[in-house]
Parts: sequence; structure tokens; C-alpha cells
Amino acid sequence: MKKLKLNKYIFLLLPFLFIALTNRVSAQEKEEAVELVKLNYFTVNNGVQYLILENSLKKGRNTEPLKNKVFQLYLNSNTPENLIGKVSTDKNGRAKSFIPPSLKAAWAESSNPTFIAVAVGKEDEIAAELAISKSKIQLDTLTTDGIRSISVKVMQLTDSVWVPAADVEMKVGIQRLGGILSAGDEETYTTDSSGTTSMEFTKDSLPGDQKGNFVLVAKVQENDLYGNMIVEKIVPWGIAVKTDTNFFDQRTLWTTRFRTPIWLLIMAYSIFIGVWGTIIYLITQIVKIKKLGVAVPKEEG
Amino acid sequence: MIWTYSLILICLIGAFAYYRQLSKGLAVTNMGDYVSWGIYISNFVFFVAISLVGSLITAIFRLSNMKWATPLTRIAEIIAVSAIVFASLIIIIDMGRPDRMLNLFLHGRIQSPIMWDVIVISTYFVISLLLLYLPLLPDLKIMIKFKERSSNILNKLYLFQGSFWRGTAEQFKISERAITILCITIIPVAFSIHTVTSWLFATTYRPGWDSTNFGAYFISGAFLVGAGGVVVAMFVFRKFYKLEKYITEMHFEKMGRIVVMLSLLYLYFNINEYLVPAFKMKSGEEAHLKGLFSGEFALIFWFAILIGMIIPILILVFKKGRKPLPMFIAGIMIVIGAWFKRYLIVTPTLLHPFLPMQDAPAEFHHYFPSWEEWAIAMGTLAGTLLVITFFARIYPIIPIQESITEQDETCMSLPPTKRHE
Repeated sequence: MKKLKLNKYIFLLLPFLFIALTNRVSAQEKEEAVELVKLNYFTVNNGVQYLILENSLKKGRNTEPLKNKVFQLYLNSNTPENLIGKVSTDKNGRAKSFIPPSLKAAWAESSNPTFIAVAVGKEDEIAAELAISKSKIQLDTLTTDGIRSISVKVMQLTDSVWVPAADVEMKVGIQRLGGILSAGDEETYTTDSSGTTSMEFTKDSLPGDQKGNFVLVAKVQENDLYGNMIVEKIVPWGIAVKTDTNFFDQRTLWTTRFRTPIWLLIMAYSIFIGVWGTIIYLITQIVKIKKLGVAVPKEEG
Repeated sequence: MIWTYSLILICLIGAFAYYRQLSKGLAVTNMGDYVSWGIYISNFVFFVAISLVGSLITAIFRLSNMKWATPLTRIAEIIAVSAIVFASLIIIIDMGRPDRMLNLFLHGRIQSPIMWDVIVISTYFVISLLLLYLPLLPDLKIMIKFKERSSNILNKLYLFQGSFWRGTAEQFKISERAITILCITIIPVAFSIHTVTSWLFATTYRPGWDSTNFGAYFISGAFLVGAGGVVVAMFVFRKFYKLEKYITEMHFEKMGRIVVMLSLLYLYFNINEYLVPAFKMKSGEEAHLKGLFSGEFALIFWFAILIGMIIPILILVFKKGRKPLPMFIAGIMIVIGAWFKRYLIVTPTLLHPFLPMQDAPAEFHHYFPSWEEWAIAMGTLAGTLLVITFFARIYPIIPIQESITEQDETCMSLPPTKRHE
């Protein structure tokens, strides 16, 4: 019996012991903040290339952008002659840099350039590194028997030769205000072994601009090899939308002062003229009283 | 003199507070993104309301041939003119940038209720001024005649304003006709001013303002506070200028009955204004109504209802309550209750926007005026009282000529044996 009671007490004490121990264990572990630096490469219309650097501090589950941090960006090696530029992060922890014309030769030399980010003040340490393969997107449109189709070909530069790039996932669609509206039935498309993907354009009766044009876009996002690529093409496949200027020409209560409704103008001015006409008449009566008074001689005493 | 100097001091403090507002901007106030209209606008609505008294006493009573109200007409017009002047000033103060007032005239849109308000207030001011001036002409002649009783400056003022008045039959005829036309004109203008002021609120979708009841609700409230203001002024002038012979207990008795009727009418409109939305309790209105009945504004709300309407009704419904002193107390209560009522019309609605406040600093969820706002608001109230005081010191508060004429007419209407009584 005594042994049972003792066991019972030990058993009851166990949870407390466990909590105390784990607390001690967790008390020894401190939450360390980790600084993250990430480089992103962008190509626009196979011509303009730029880098976006993202700098943040990760503490537990929270990520806080680091602003006003200065970095130097290099191409292939962190030597002064390969300097792309010196950037400072904004309030969102991001910085942008274009590849300068001075590095044209160095850029043309390599099919697989590497971008290096070094924090100012910590020049012996590489903050971030990004290696990409040069690539390009070809966006073509075709109309056959009234059926519109889109063909996208992705090619990568290998040993100075353009070869098809397979298994590249991308969005193909129409650039709208909130994002890209997929041109076909799929959300994304992936290139086949020939580096091509094609789809039928299913979004008929889409409003375009005043001429019926809209922007067709093929966009590769955060690809491990190619970075971010976007190609745009204006196509006349939309419906022309004419801005209804008549709305602003209408006479309403909420338009400009020169578009007052006629009924309001008549009512307001009639009342105004009526009342103020009466007031002016009364003022003339006061003037008349004054003239009458002046004509009558003053009383003595 | 203590009264005058106190008012001048309050006005000066208000002027200093306004100087701070002009130099630092509206940041000195506690108005913000949500409460963009505070006690300046409450004051504006209050002044506009109290100015209706001119139309009530002078115009309506005169046209109804209620001769007993003749001693009250000048008091009423003086209150009306003073109130409307400060109603205009408080709006300019609320604008922050007074130079932007010009934009109303240079770029005004006739579609805007604010434009309508500017036009009717200006019109009402001019008409009230004429309605104060025309009946004053015969009295100016009397003041000029007894020039030894006034200072040189005042005599010069009387000469400038009314030396041409000879009291001829022709002049009286034109004057009487002009006053009658003014009385007829001022009634629709007065109704317009209060209706248009109410439309500044009612032409919005906000809970608490989106009501078709507002026009009549404002007019009834204006009649009540105007009448209350006149009752207070009657008592004060009667006491300090020893006018018991002219402002008699009969005047208090009759005004008391009118005030009771107006209180009941205003109470009726209040019931319409609150009971109907409370019955429906639309989701948009719920927070606003609960705030008034049992929430943040409950104390002020029930204070305004009780002090501004219920208790004055209970006082004045009995004959003993329609004596000078109880009437004065009831009048004060009506005026104070009316001021808080205007505050309740403006601020609670702004604190319950359509989209609930999100990610707003804690101080945005409440509004209490800053000392500058209080000083300016009190300054304008003091200014109104100061203008009334100066008017009363400069001009006879009882229309002398009209009172004499009416006494003669009353006497002549009695049988010859009773004429000397």
C-alpha cells in the first residue's frame, strides 16, 4: 500500500519535472535572427536585364525588411572591373540595378553569368550569389480558320548556341489590371522537349483598348535556371471599348458647375431673383423714405 | 460691466485660440479622418436654429396680428441677427483656410447643398437686418429727440441711421408695407435656411443622417430653441432694465404656452427620428443607435432629451410654471439641451462610419474637442451674447413707437369711460 502511494506521488510529480526540464532546455535555446539576402534576375522583352536584391531579417516566424542597407553587385566575380552597381535597399528591403553598358563585353562572353552581392562593410563575405542561364522567349500568334492560337518558345544559350529549353513553366495570357488572365484553359503552361508550348486562345469577347488591342504576355517566374522572364506583344484580339464621354456631358447633380440640371437652374435662380428682387425693392423703399424725410423740414426742438 | 468684460475676455481667449488654429492649422483641433465635423459644426447648426426666432416672433406673430408680442420683436430680431452673424463666422473657422471661402463664389456649384446654405444664410441675414432696421426708424427719431440721454457717439450713430425719419403719414405707409413684405418674405427664407442646413446631413447616406424627417425635425427644433432663447432674453432684460410694465407676466404666460407646444412638436419629431430606425434596427444604424441610447453618448443623449424637452414641458404645462422665473429656468434648459442635441446630431454619426474603423489609432475612435475648439466655440457664443448686449445698450429693446401706437389703439378701442383706466 505504502509502495503504491509512493508510486502515485512519483507519478504525479513526473509532469512537473517534465515541464521544468523542458523549460530549462528551451531556456537555453535562444531565438536567433537570421539575415536573408536574395538576388532575383529579370529579363524584359529579351532585351532589358536587371537585378532585384531583397534583404530581410528573419526572427522566428517573422520576417522584417531591412532598409538602407548598402550592397555592391558584381558580374561573375567580385572585382572592381565587374561591378554592376552600388545599391541601397528601400523601406521594403528591396534594391534594383540594371546591368550597365560598361559590362556589355563581359555579359556577352558568358552563357551562364553569375551575379554576386556583397554587403558594404563586409567585403570579404559574399552575401548572395545567383547563377543563371541566358535565355529568351519567342511569342507568336496564329489565326487559322478563325481559331486563334498562341505559341511560346523558350530557348537557352548554351556554348553560344540557342537551344530549346524544356520543362519551363510559365504563364501565358492577357495583361489585365490585377494580373495575367490565362489565354487558354490552363493556369500555367510548360514547354516540351522542343522548348515550345502552344494553346488555343479561348478568351473571346475580351474588352481591349479603344482600338481593340490588348497586351499578350508570356511570363516565367522565379525559374531556378532562367530567373524571371517576361515578353509582351500587342494583339488586336479584343473588343474596342469606347469611353462614354456622354456621361460627363450630362446635366446631373454630381457634375461640374457648367452641367447643372436645367430644372435646378430655373428653380434656384427664380427663387434667388424673387427673394433678392424683393430685398432690392425694399432697399429702394428705404431710399424713398429717406428722400421723403429730406424733403420735409426738421421739427424744432 | 462684469457681464460685458467676462464676455470680452471669453471672446479674446477664443480669438487667441483661433490665432493658434490659423498658424498651426486644424491639427490643433481633435477633428480627424473620421470626425471631420466637430463642435464647430454643432455650433453652426445651433446658431442657425436659434436665429429662427426672428421669423417666429417678428414675422409670424406680426402677420397673425398678435399685438401682445410687439415688445418682444426687437429682442427676437437682435438675437436672430447676432446668431446668424456668428453662424457664418463659425463656418469660416471650421474651414481652416478662410481664404478658401472665396472659392465658393469663384467656383461654386449650384448643385451643392453647401452652396444653397451659403445663399440662404446670406439672404436671411440681410432680411433680418432690414427687419431690425425698418421698425427701428421711428425709435431712432425718439432717441435723436432725447439726445441728452445718450452720448455724442451714439447720437451721431442715430443721426446717421435715422435722421431722415420725420414720421409723416407717407413714410409710415411705406415703412409698414415694407415691413409686411419683409415678414412675408422672411418666413419661407427662414424655413429654407433650416431645411437646407438639415439637408447638409440628410443628403448623405450615413446612419443617423439618412432621414427624410430632417427638414421638419430641424425646423421644429429651431422654433423651440429660438423661443427658449427669447424667453431667457425676456427675463434678463425685464429684470435688468426694469421693463415689468412692457414685458408683463401675460407675455410669459403666452410664450410659455407657445414653448410647450413647440416642445411637444419637437418631441414628436424626435420620436419619429429615433423610434422608427430603432424599430427596424438596420445593421448600419444599429451601432449608432445603441451608442446613443445606451453607449458612449447615452449620458448626453438622455440629458438633451430630458433637459431640453421633457422637463421644460413638465414645468410649462402648469400655470405656475409659466411665471417669469420658472420660464427663465425652462428657457435656459431648452437652450442648453438644444446645444447638446446639435452635438449629438453631428458627432455620433461620424464615429459610426459605413465601414467599421480598422487599423485606426485608438484616439480616432473617440472625439473630445481640444481646448482650442472649446475656446473658439465658447468665444462665438460669448460673441453672440456680446453683440446682443451691445444692441440692447445702443437701441431701445422695446419698440417704443409701436408700443405707444398700440397702447393708443387699445385705449381708443375701449369704451370712453374705461379709456383712462
